[in-house]
Amino acid sequence: MNLHPMKLVTIICEAVLEERIVEVLHECGAHGHTAFDVRGSGRQGARSADLVESSNVQIEVIAKPAVAENLLQRLHLNFFQDYAMVAYESEVQVMRPEKF
Amino acid sequence: MDLLTAIQSNLLSPAVLFFLLGVFAAVSKSDLKFPDSLYTTLTIYLLTAIGFKGGVAIHEAGIGAVWLPALAAMALGGIIPVWTYPMLRKLGKFSVADAGAIAAHYGSVSAVTFIAATNFLKSIHEPFESYASAFLAVMESPAIIVGVMLGKGALGGGKFSLSDAGVRHALRDAVLGKGVLLLIGAMVIGSLCGKRGMASVEGFFVTPFQGVLALFLLEMGMVAGRRLGDLKKVGIFLLVFGVTAPLVHGLAGVLLGGWVGLSVGGATLLGVLAASASYIAAPAAVRLSVPEANPTYSLTAALAITFPFNISLGIPLFFEAAKLLNA
Repeated sequence: MNLHPMKLVTIICEAVLEERIVEVLHECGAHGHTAFDVRGSGRQGARSADLVESSNVQIEVIAKPAVAENLLQRLHLNFFQDYAMVAYESEVQVMRPEKF
Repeated sequence: MDLLTAIQSNLLSPAVLFFLLGVFAAVSKSDLKFPDSLYTTLTIYLLTAIGFKGGVAIHEAGIGAVWLPALAAMALGGIIPVWTYPMLRKLGKFSVADAGAIAAHYGSVSAVTFIAATNFLKSIHEPFESYASAFLAVMESPAIIVGVMLGKGALGGGKFSLSDAGVRHALRDAVLGKGVLLLIGAMVIGSLCGKRGMASVEGFFVTPFQGVLALFLLEMGMVAGRRLGDLKKVGIFLLVFGVTAPLVHGLAGVLLGGWVGLSVGGATLLGVLAASASYIAAPAAVRLSVPEANPTYSLTAALAITFPFNISLGIPLFFEAAKLLNA
């Protein structure tokens, strides 16, 4: 089986940001994403998920290394200071690199 | 009926009692939890139902009777942040962002508080203009727009700009958010269909309404109850503000209602709307556009102080005030 290395960027943040993050990731050159509702707690307190304001969303995107780095930079620049957000990249192997 | 009887009859309504049950469930850390989608479903149901009913009432009364009080309601919503903002800045010592955020929440409105007030009026057989839900629809957005501008420092040559992606998203949400869209959409549909349309949907939108409202308030009680712990974090000023702001705004609404020719019931409703603080539309819009503001302040004040105050004491108080002032 022929596998190709790619980056998986995972972003966990306030649910109100979902639309804006999706905009940013398309601007950075990513071709798709998966989002799901999550809950948890962190440095800025518990996120009880009972109102949009206190709900969290996890957004995952697989992209080429340059796109992933660009995306993390943009998140750092635009969101890290003011919002509850965790973002990281990890290595993944995909079968059809042209999809990403 | 005197004030005490009014308060008593309000406190013993299913809506208020279910709210208390919800608070108790949250405080006692019960495992009771509504599925996420149920909260949204109940919100959609309530907004559609009152929008439609209001639309049918507009059909009956004619738009000529509605526009003046609706315009007054809209103006009141937009003006409340203009004077709450300097109060919060000077007396409360809040930052520009926090003061703007809190002002936006208090100028905007709470649909459930409004519904609870219409229930109260019905339970004491006090007539009111059924098209009053139009006031609810037009009061949601103006305050959010004004509050966001203030919070972005529009007064001090700050950084309010439409090119800010957060501001753009927030303004679109404020003007076309699900609350406003459903209310105004259902209202237009109701006003086109009139009484005949009402007859066909009555079984769904009218008969089960009280039960749905009771369930929704149970959930609201839990949402508010989970935030009671935050009361310690917001400071004494906000605790006082959370009760005095609705009192002052409520009286202003009652007076304005009488002045534009509303009945005692209608003036009560305008008072309740002015007194209420938003916890759905405003938090999301403000979070997107004024991220420096601490949401704990505005949300705790709106949900854990002002909302319980209004649905327990505020509603009967504004009714008595409307009777006195507009007699």
